[in-house]
Order: sequence, then C-alpha cells, then structure tokens
Amino acid sequence: MPLNYEIAERTLANGLRVIVSEDHSVPNVTVDLWVNVGSRHEVEGRTGFAHLFEHLMFQGSRNVASGEHFSVLMAAGGRLNATTWFDRTNYFETVPRGAMDLALWMEADRHGHLLDAVNQENLDNQRDVVKEEKRQRYDNMPYGNALIDVYAVIFPKGHPYHHATIGSMQDLDAASVQDVHEFFRLHYGPDNTVLALVGDLTPDEGFVAAEKYFGPLPATAAARRGPVEPLATLSAPVRDEHIEDVPADRLHIAFRLPVDDTPEFFASSLAMDIIGGLATSRLYRRLVRGEQSAVSVSANAMGFVDGISLGLMVIDVADGFDADAVEAAACEELVRFAEQGPTEIEMESALAQTERGWLSSLASQEERADHICHFATLQGDAGYINTFLDRLGEVSADQVQQAAARWLMPTSRAVVAYLKQDGDTR
Amino acid sequence: MTPQESVLERPEVSPPKPWSFPDAQRSELANGLAVVSYDIPGQYVISVRLAVPMLLEREPRDREGVATIMARTLDEGTARHTAEEFAELLERKGIALGAGVSDSGLIVDLDVPKRHLTEALDLLSQAVREPAFPENEVSRHVKTRLAEIDQERAVPGQRAAMEFIETYFDARERASRPTAGTKATISAITPQDLVVFHAANVVLSGATVVVAGDLGDLDIVSQVEHALGSWTGAAVDAVEPHAAVRSVDAARIAFVDRPGSVQTEFYVGCPGPDRRVEGGWAAYQVLGFVIGGSPNARVDAVLREDKGFTYGIRSGFRPRRCGGMFLTSGSVRADSTVEALGLLLDILDKAREGFTAEETQAGVDFIGKTAPGRYATADTVAEEAAGLSLEGLTTEFTTATLLALAEVDASALAAAYDRFVSGEWTVVVVGDAGLYAEGVRGLGRGEVTVIPA
Repeated sequence: MPLNYEIAERTLANGLRVIVSEDHSVPNVTVDLWVNVGSRHEVEGRTGFAHLFEHLMFQGSRNVASGEHFSVLMAAGGRLNATTWFDRTNYFETVPRGAMDLALWMEADRHGHLLDAVNQENLDNQRDVVKEEKRQRYDNMPYGNALIDVYAVIFPKGHPYHHATIGSMQDLDAASVQDVHEFFRLHYGPDNTVLALVGDLTPDEGFVAAEKYFGPLPATAAARRGPVEPLATLSAPVRDEHIEDVPADRLHIAFRLPVDDTPEFFASSLAMDIIGGLATSRLYRRLVRGEQSAVSVSANAMGFVDGISLGLMVIDVADGFDADAVEAAACEELVRFAEQGPTEIEMESALAQTERGWLSSLASQEERADHICHFATLQGDAGYINTFLDRLGEVSADQVQQAAARWLMPTSRAVVAYLKQDGDTR
Repeated sequence: MTPQESVLERPEVSPPKPWSFPDAQRSELANGLAVVSYDIPGQYVISVRLAVPMLLEREPRDREGVATIMARTLDEGTARHTAEEFAELLERKGIALGAGVSDSGLIVDLDVPKRHLTEALDLLSQAVREPAFPENEVSRHVKTRLAEIDQERAVPGQRAAMEFIETYFDARERASRPTAGTKATISAITPQDLVVFHAANVVLSGATVVVAGDLGDLDIVSQVEHALGSWTGAAVDAVEPHAAVRSVDAARIAFVDRPGSVQTEFYVGCPGPDRRVEGGWAAYQVLGFVIGGSPNARVDAVLREDKGFTYGIRSGFRPRRCGGMFLTSGSVRADSTVEALGLLLDILDKAREGFTAEETQAGVDFIGKTAPGRYATADTVAEEAAGLSLEGLTTEFTTATLLALAEVDASALAAAYDRFVSGEWTVVVVGDAGLYAEGVRGLGRGEVTVIPA
C-alpha cells in the first residue's frame, strides 16, 4: 500500500537537519535527535564510551541540573530516554504539545553546553550505573555475552563493528573527564545531528521552534570520515565454542551481509526471513516442527552503514539432540535454499510479514520519529518511511536467491556455540 | 571568536489540550458475544483481541499449565488445516496470531493489515473453535515448555519471580505456582487433556471481542458476526474469584543461592489492591511512579543516582482479578547486596511516613499527561480493553481513573499506601549466598532461608 506520512525538511545555517511530520491524532509531539556517532567511532582503549557519554547527557548541562532532564519532562507528561548503537546515538521524548518548547530548550542546552556540567563525580556515578547495565544485561545472564562474541568473531580486530556498544569494563574504568570533553567536541554539534519533530504541529511551527532553540548553536562537530572499505564474506567457517553453565545448547550462526539500504541488503534480509525468520521458514519446518531437534529458531538481518551488515540465526537445540547435527542440518538447508531460491509462497509470506511489522512500527509517533531520524541520519532520505515497502516489493525471487548464494553459504558462516557443561550428547 | 548566543529563558509549559480515551462502540451479537470497537484513524494495522474469562483454578491440580499449552496450540492444526498449512495461511496475509493466559483468563490476539481483516477473523475463529491438538504438536509444545522452565530458572529475574510466588502465597493457592505449570504437571499433559479443557472453557459466555484501528469503512459487527456469530457454550467456575491468601510465614527472606553471580536480584512485595479498591485505583498508579517509576523516583534516586549500585529498580502495584500486590524488583552489584537491600527496605518503609506535595503532583502529572501517548495506538487500546473485560470492566474505568487523578493529593497517597503496606515484606534475593547470606541475615529484616538455585 502507498504510504503518505507528511515529511517536511529544512537545514538550519549551522547544519542541523530538521524534519517535521505533522500528525494531529494525539496532542503530543515527539522530539527525536539522532547524532551521527556510535560505538563504530570509538577508539581502541575506549570501547563503550559513546554509550557512557549518552548517560552523561542526563546529568545536567549549562542551565539544567543533574537529573532534571528526566524529572522535569516526566512531570510535564513526557516519556523519554536515549539509546546508543554501533552507528548512532539518539535522544528522544514524547511530550504534550505545550511542553515541546521546554523539551527543545533542554535538548539544545545539553547538545550545545553539556561540558559546563560534566565533572568527576557524575562521570564516576554513571560509570557505575553503566557497569551495572552491563552486568544486568550481559554478564549475569545465561548466553549474555553471545552477541559480543559474534561481533568479535565475524568482524576483524580494528573494524568498527568488532566490539559491542556496551564496551569492556576495563575501558569503562579508563574513561576520564578529559575523554568526555574530547568526545563532545569531536562528535556533538548541530552539523552532526538530525532533529525530527513528529506530531501535533505544523512544519512552520517546527522550523521556527528549531531555529529558536538550536539556531544559536555553532557548527562544531568534526567532519565525518567516509565509510570504511566493504568487507567480503568470510572465506572459511569460523567457530567460537563456550562450554558454560547454560540450560541448553544454543547456536548463533552469523553471516556478513551487504550494507543497509541497498537492493542486495533487502534481498538478503528476505532470504534470512525465509530461511529462519518466519513460522513457515525452512529451518522452523525442518528443525522445530519436523525433527524437533530445535526448540526455537530465529533469524534476522541487522543493517549497518560501515561497509558491512550482519545476519544472525539463533537456534536453541532441543534436549537430547546433538548441536553439531543440528548445525549440519541448518547448513544443508542454506545450501538447498541457495540452489533452489524461494518459492512464490515464501516470497509472499516474507513480504506480508515485513509489511505488517513495518506498519506496526509506524503506528506510534515515537517509533515513526525514530525511523525518520534513522534514515535521514544514516542513509540521507527522511522520506524512506513512505517508500521502503515499495522498494522491498521490487526485490525479485532471483535476487533473493543470488543474495543467499553470495552471502549465506555455510562456508562463510561464523558460529558461536554455547554448550552445556554436562552435555550428555557430546 | 565566541559565537553570539542569545540567552533564552526556560520556556513555560502550557496546559495540555483536552484529550479523552478513544470512544468505544459496543454491540452484542445475537449469540450474546460482546463486540467493542475503537475507530482510530491512521492505525493501519488492526488489532483484534478475544478475551475469554477463565480462572486458573479450573485447571486440574495435576495438569496445571494446561491452559497455557492449550493457548499455545490453538493454531497448531485445526479441523480444516494442518499446523503447517495454518501457519502458511497466517503468514501469507501478514497476520500475527497468538494467545496467552493470565490469572483471569485467555486472550487471543490478532494483528493484521486492514485489507486482510476478513480472512484473519475467519482464521481466528477456526483456531478458537476448531483446534485439533495433534499429538505431534502437543508433545512438541510440552517439550518447549519444559525447556522454557530450564531457561527461566537460569535467568535471575525470572528465578526471583518463581521463588516469590512460592514464598508469598499460601501453598493451597493456584497463585503460588507458575501460571504456565511446573515440570511435573506439564509432563503429564496429553492431547486429550487439551481437548477436554478447551471444550469446557473456551466458550462463548462472558467473552468479548475488541477491534481497534482505522475502521473507517468497515462494518465490524457484521464481520465479527460472520466469524463468531454461531459460537456457543457456557462455563461455570467451581470457585468464585477470590483474593489469593498470603502464606502465614510470608514475611521473610528467601535467598536463592546462585554462586558466582556478579549481581544480586531483589524481588520485594506485600499485599496490594485490585482495580476496584475503595478510594480508587488512581492513587496506586501514582504511588508506583513516585516510589519506583523513574531514575529520580525514591528508590533509584538513592540506589542508582546516588550510590551507583544498580541500572534501575522498579516498583509498582500489580492488580490481579481479586486483590493484588505491591512489587519492587531489580538487580544490584553483588558486593553491594547487603547495603542495597537495607537501603531499599528503608525507602519502602519510610514511604509510610508520607509524600511531599511536589512529588505527588509530579506523579499525578506523569500518569495523567502521558495517557494520550500511552493509548495512541490500536494495539495499546485493544490490550487495555481486553484486559479490563476479563475483570468485568470497560475502558470507562480507564477514563474514570484518569479523571480521578485530579483528586489525588499527598494525603490521599499516604492513605492509599497505608491501606496495604505494613512493613511485612516478602523478600527474595537471588545471588551468591555463600558470600552474602550472613550479611543479609545481619540486617535483622526477617528470617533468612537459603535455597539452592
């Protein structure tokens, strides 16, 4: 179906790209800022820094006290947070229309004048908080470090995606106030930021407000480097095995994929869905429903910008079955898919499920703002939300087969296996 | 040269524009099925929820979890289609169909792009009315649930929740055991158990269909009539809904030993109200926010922002069909276990002394002014309506509760907290008992029992 969400765009003199999407369905505005800096920009010895920095953005700035960003906006009816990922960092709040100016004023204060408030005490405190985030989400969880292992084995040392956004405890410990100053000066500034305003406002109201609060900020960010050289597929399988105290054997089968926002990425993404993402996928039919050698299978394509993307399949091996045999069966299916290509029904299913997922994700203002910023920041086109489904629909079955044959062959897989300590089947 | 910067005053916030929860259109089909629809323009994915009230006490004691396995296998083969055919019919039309059970009933949920709503309702009807429960699929879901139990035991937060209900509720209560069953009860489940349970319980009486989304040119009532107009059946509960009784020795500390844990998980609770509580539900929403709903709430202001012990700990009142609980949960750095637990219980106890006008107002404003955004999408509206219908409530309750926020002041908050919180906490700790159980015992906050993981 053709989508026609309103998109109006203007760039301020200082380089801030402002995108307004008018939608009066509820009396709210989502204020979303994407800064083109993520863990891919981190230097050796400072992994995890982009994310730690994001936490410091809530600890006050020139005219905002520590913690006020949460307390003041929440009391005004705001729901807010921030996230950091390989490619970017984003800051967002959804507020009643009458609090939009306050939100913009607070955002401009921290995006322009954070360093006035940074000190050793709030760095130490948020370093502790981030270390607890890492323990909670990774170190104290079964399989918690599996994704970190996947990135490390499939992308070479020194590559922007070799290390996870959460970083290492050692590097978090090493972060200094001086690092915060340097990071801010290098990466933050209106010329490296996209601002989306989505909701109960007109484009003119949005542009005027953006100019009022962000217009005075100078363009300060350093020029972005170009994308790193594309990586080829792995030339031979790589394996990383962990014998741990986990409840069941779990296989993470990873592939390098083409960069995001290309027909080849879309094709490989559809191939991942058909091989392992759908409830009617090849692997689900064979391993979960048929042999019942796996309890679950998932597959998805994560699009990145720096020369490569990631395809990841995760298989939970059923009790009493051999992980190696399950992996071999999965490899057979990969080869078969590359030889046969998708059926008509598989293409129809993958497109239909993607369509529903896409429309659901555009249903709320905040997620719509997120998509708008994402594609404006990383791919350039703020109107992507309206055209994505049509572009995906142009991908042919042949292209899906070709993408699988090029990117999803067993010979170019990286496997991170978490195996039970007392596994009786090995 | 320093760029010239105009000094802008912090902007004032102007009052929110009027907003109300989306209007419901209510009808009843000839067979008695309640149909509630919400037309929300611009919501292109339609959310359908079929809510069937059903107390978990209807499960046989030795087959607990049968309702959950039944919910998970409704679409795994029907009278007309195999499991695989059914999955294909769903996916080709971009339909997501799922089902789950809570202490108050079964909810079948369906999300579908608008143009495929008719086919989707037909498939929902087949899953609900004609499930075949094939042997192969049932045994697969039994094994999947057994594997899931192993996973739950390994994840500290879930392990804590499991231990909590066992410690908190009287052992005679269904609520003291997992909704989705234990290894012993799940292992015993056969296809015949599902057939019997389904026939007796997934029936028309008391059921509600909720449809939300961009319904502009659709005749929802006739579409639902077409799919479910000939559905029949009634069920009787052997027991009346009742507030599950707390165990007589619930006020104690259960320490689940998880050697080598780099964090310690806390799960702290005491009785709370259900939504029909005298004095109104609104104050309890505000309390959850003020005590543990944000990085600046009472708990995290100390444990996160001051001490740096945690990524975040959350509190909230959790209503059940009858009665409810006040729960606080989250994890802290292992070597802060003893100090953090002491501080946490002090914060929860000290709240009995009352709340400031400022924090009360911040909580009232957060709950009230975020409502338009929290109920902006088809799925959140449908979810709210379906959940309430299992308790015999409608979204008029949501509207009334939001209006009642205007009456919530600091004294109302204190009275609401005082009505349920007496300082008799059930505490579950999941962490390295060898290192920290003695220290926790030393806090003098209750008898400590160490339980193997």
